[in-house]
Amino acid sequence: MIAHPVPARRASPGWRWLGAALWFAAPFAVLVVAWHLAVRLAGVPLRVFPAPADVAAALVQQVRTGSLADHIGQSLRRVLVGTTLAVATSVPLGVALSSSRILAALLLPVLRFFSVLAGIAWIPLATLWFGYGFGAITFIIFNAVFFIVLYNTLVGVSSIPQVLRDAARCLGARPWQVLVEVLLPGALPNIVTGIRTGMGFAWRGLIAAEIIATNAGLGYMIFLARDFYRTEVIVLGMILIGALWVLIDRSLLAPLERRTIERWGLTRVVQ
Amino acid sequence: MDDGLVIRGLSKVYHTPYTGEHVAAIEDVSLEIPPGEFVAILGPSGCGKTTLLNIVAGFLPPTRGEILLNGRRIQGPGPDRGVVFQSFALFPWKTVLDNVAFGLKMRGVPRAERERIAREYIALVGLEGFEHRYPHELSGGMQQRVGVARVLANHPDLMLMDEPFASVDAQTRMTLQEELARIWEARRPTVLFVTHDVEEAVFLANRVVVLTPRPARVRATVDVPLARPRLWQRLVEDPDYKSLVARVLALVRDPGG
Amino acid sequence: MRRVRRALGWVATRPAVQTLAPFALLVGAWQLMVALEVYPRAFFPGPGDVVRALGSLTYKGILPAYLQDSVTRLAVGAAAGALVGVPLGVLIGVHPISYRFFWPLIIFFQAIGDIAWLPILLIWFGFTLTTMTFVIVYTVVFPIIFNTALGVRTVPVDVVRAAQCLGASRARVLWEVLLPGALPNIITGLRTGLGYGWRALIAAEIIVGTSGIGFMMFDARRSGSVVEMILGMILLGLLWYAVDAGLLRPAERATVERWGLVRPTG
Repeated sequence: MIAHPVPARRASPGWRWLGAALWFAAPFAVLVVAWHLAVRLAGVPLRVFPAPADVAAALVQQVRTGSLADHIGQSLRRVLVGTTLAVATSVPLGVALSSSRILAALLLPVLRFFSVLAGIAWIPLATLWFGYGFGAITFIIFNAVFFIVLYNTLVGVSSIPQVLRDAARCLGARPWQVLVEVLLPGALPNIVTGIRTGMGFAWRGLIAAEIIATNAGLGYMIFLARDFYRTEVIVLGMILIGALWVLIDRSLLAPLERRTIERWGLTRVVQ
Repeated sequence: MDDGLVIRGLSKVYHTPYTGEHVAAIEDVSLEIPPGEFVAILGPSGCGKTTLLNIVAGFLPPTRGEILLNGRRIQGPGPDRGVVFQSFALFPWKTVLDNVAFGLKMRGVPRAERERIAREYIALVGLEGFEHRYPHELSGGMQQRVGVARVLANHPDLMLMDEPFASVDAQTRMTLQEELARIWEARRPTVLFVTHDVEEAVFLANRVVVLTPRPARVRATVDVPLARPRLWQRLVEDPDYKSLVARVLALVRDPGG
Repeated sequence: MRRVRRALGWVATRPAVQTLAPFALLVGAWQLMVALEVYPRAFFPGPGDVVRALGSLTYKGILPAYLQDSVTRLAVGAAAGALVGVPLGVLIGVHPISYRFFWPLIIFFQAIGDIAWLPILLIWFGFTLTTMTFVIVYTVVFPIIFNTALGVRTVPVDVVRAAQCLGASRARVLWEVLLPGALPNIITGLRTGLGYGWRALIAAEIIVGTSGIGFMMFDARRSGSVVEMILGMILLGLLWYAVDAGLLRPAERATVERWGLVRPTG
């Protein structure tokens, strides 16, 4: 009978990562197999839905012609520019709003109203004001990210206990120093969370905007393919859209969020 | 013994598959509770007494040993073993009446009948008039009374109580302890009561079982032949009570195996 | 002077005033910009123009018809989404293994997004109501799944055990404990889902539609009628507010607030 704990034989981090990766890949493997069987057994024609093999072939072809890299590049660039602009404007505004009651009372209801009007609804107006292409799409992305980061900044800054601000002030910090040394770092977890969520919306809005308003990018690619009934390109595009976002989110944004929050032990991260 | 609770050679080992760690929580515990007895399980915090209760309740499987209730092996939770939880665990979306009637509803008792029975038990625990309140409107002490009524109304063969008064303040606790003693003296259910409070154990039980620190083993069993009804005002002065408490306390604190 | 000040102070505390005042200011600023011709009138119409359009479209019967179409599509899509999403959420939330298995799939499909399905949907169903409903359901379903799963997973284990030791079968535990316990989260999921569904509806109407508010806005783009675009946007905001205040909040009050699971908000 074991009366005390046996010295632990801890699984090495390498094995643990492999285990997690397998768990992540397993459902997709099952899905692909089921997909293949469904298409083959039901005799679904290519015009209606491609088989996994068709999509793989399309991938190879697109990579060879180089058009894939171009589409992906365009999409990513737009997201990047739009997000950067949105963060650069919403964070300062958020800080300002949480510092001034009057400003907040005036602007908040208006901002809340506009936040409901999703990027999509702005497309007609945006294309009118900015023309088709880069400008309009970036505006849509900006719109998607701006409100979320603004809201998160507000929450983040206002949840910083007043005592911290007071402590900084009585140690001689001037207002702008309080901002840089206390408010921004304190609100950073919320801001990063907002950026992550906002980019999720932005990604989806991007695809929609590209379908409507431009001639390059992943959204454009799948919509063009439709005109030629090239379902394998459509599905390839869909998979890339999904996979790209999962990649960006899981390997970039989530670790960034976790690192910011956990490093400073500020909140428990809920996945 | 055919009736009542019989625990034989119970062991519980926690096993983490990834790291190969084994942690023994309970080691070779044997215990018998005849029907109508009030047994308190006493031990220091973390010694495994809650694990023991969870296994008897059927929420956890034992690693070794067998548990028989009225001659039958237990398998999973069931209405024959009702549990009163430290966290009260009332259903927040149901009124007091519906909470107490829950077990009866599960058994298919028609509404009129089960509400009648529920009201009886609500009155028994002294909450008449609160039938249509929601749990969040009640104080901690009142919520726990509902918890007790809920289990009693279901007439279980065994009533399991997991440090039920640990979440209320000291004065409410004393009131609830007297209430529980009174109810027990009136109805005589079979009770397995887990606690870390020596005075509480001696106040309520016929028999106190003292466990060792982890892994839990039965260190000693002490009979409590104090007269009933048990009231704090009387017992506080009673020399028999005081010596029993001292004896049990010594057993709990004894560092020896 | 004193009395005027007191009267103004009283007015300022009325909740209706506090809600509307910022908008009144916004409209005022808007009107000012128009009057000053900050942007060409064709690109930037004023409040008056918008109200006039509202009147004329209502009179012609177009606006009510479009409104009805949009709202109906959303209602159908949302209902279908809830019917699909809640059971899925329960399925995933109820067991750690099914959670681990389905989680990557759900994240992936959510990442694809509703719009990316349009090309293939158009091939299958063309420009029909089916396509639009699919898009709306697709958007609505994910927040509902996530929130329902979260709700189910966070029902306190003691409450589940309490039901078990009172004789509840698995089905009973699901119906009597897990679902009510998850209800605050389910409502949150519905609220978020409806928000997304609204946006998806507009997008679908823009791309696919033949009627509805979204269609009206995009059609206005083609005919260069900025007024109608802005009118559409305002209506969108108002409608969303109406749904939230008129549907979701009362539902919340009747259930989770009554049960004390959620603190009452204004």
